[in-house]
Amino acid sequence: MECDRAGGLLSGLVDNALRPLARFRVSRHVAGCDACAAKLEELRAMQAAIRTKLPYHRAPPGLAARIGAALPREAPPRVVRPWFRMPAFALAGTGLAGALAGVALTVLVSSGSNDPTIAVIGSHIRSMQAEHLTDVPTSDQHTVKPWLSARLDVSPPVRDLKDEGFPLVGGRLDYVDGHPAAAVVYRRAKHVINLFAWASAGKADETFRGERRQGFNVVTWRHDGVTYYAVSDVEADQLAEFARLVAQGT
Amino acid sequence: MPQEDRRRRFELLALPHLDAAFNLARWLAGNTTDAEDVVQDAYLRAYRYFDAFQGGNFRVWLLTIVRNAFMTWVKENRSGRMVFVPDTPVADSADTEKTMWGSAPRDPESLLLESIDSQTLGRLMEQLPAEYREVLLLREVEDLAYKEIAEVTGVPMGTVMSRLSRARLSLRKLWLQQAETEAAHGV
Repeated sequence: MECDRAGGLLSGLVDNALRPLARFRVSRHVAGCDACAAKLEELRAMQAAIRTKLPYHRAPPGLAARIGAALPREAPPRVVRPWFRMPAFALAGTGLAGALAGVALTVLVSSGSNDPTIAVIGSHIRSMQAEHLTDVPTSDQHTVKPWLSARLDVSPPVRDLKDEGFPLVGGRLDYVDGHPAAAVVYRRAKHVINLFAWASAGKADETFRGERRQGFNVVTWRHDGVTYYAVSDVEADQLAEFARLVAQGT
Repeated sequence: MPQEDRRRRFELLALPHLDAAFNLARWLAGNTTDAEDVVQDAYLRAYRYFDAFQGGNFRVWLLTIVRNAFMTWVKENRSGRMVFVPDTPVADSADTEKTMWGSAPRDPESLLLESIDSQTLGRLMEQLPAEYREVLLLREVEDLAYKEIAEVTGVPMGTVMSRLSRARLSLRKLWLQQAETEAAHGV
């Protein structure tokens, strides 16, 4: 093979996209040709530079909410479902949330269920999968709260509960079950807790209700026209404790 | 399927790729505001045609729609201005390669591509025609295979390879010019 022929195939070699025979012939040529070997080296360096250094533009905060609001929707009848009582038994630690997420996502997609619990769990999973846990990654409650309040019609309670074992990680705008929602992110050891809050003006207060679904624990309550959902894979009693602490601040 | 279920299914599949969609749109459109419009339009289209998604790689399907939404946006907003340069007619691709390499490759020490900073690389990237930018992004950032890039861009696989090759050589040329300018100014 000559340089001219090989030159056109170098990119294919870099991308590992050549058929075996072509790959063999180009590789053999490169092995015996300093000029083409240098070209190949340069192409590889360029590939590495783009892969490691090209700026990555993340979606701006609020774009998901904006898209969600623009999706056509029929006004859905509000489905009232029975809430399950918090399971009294302690649930086995679920380990790394990430490992679970892939499995849970599949289950969620196929289940086609129809209630907000599923929606918040989906949002919880997405927040970890898309590496988009927070828009304001700070443990400073005085930064997170105004940031969220400025963008939403709710002013969620944001307190760093570090001393109680739930350090604040940050805040995020989200879109859950047809509502723009505040997501306040906490951690319990290695586990992520998403606290969702959205406005439900005119609806009666509801006390804590917990359930376990798709491998996650969920606690919900409503207070003063705001609906809250706490979602995590921490154990049920810990999440209940977390919910109680959050509610104390409202 | 009830509307709400369909919508939830769509959100579960599509929202995790929002960053990928936005990054592609941002590199194609060149600024945040336009990229947001392109992505929103793409998501609405994807939702409309969601039932037509036959399984397979959802990200590839979605990026194809983002790319098409960008093309529409170009037509509506930048009429008269050529964003995608047509592939130069190539009688012999080997000749093109030879011309495009131009100066012989230098030894890696003198090129120092490793030393390029993100900002400079981004600026050089912006100078490339959109058809070069998109194949580079799909290949290097999204890590798509040639077959998938062909699907997104609607060109044959052979064209994907030659376009990627030319995109890389164009970027190299810009980089060399940049390095020479810097050297001339004693930077």
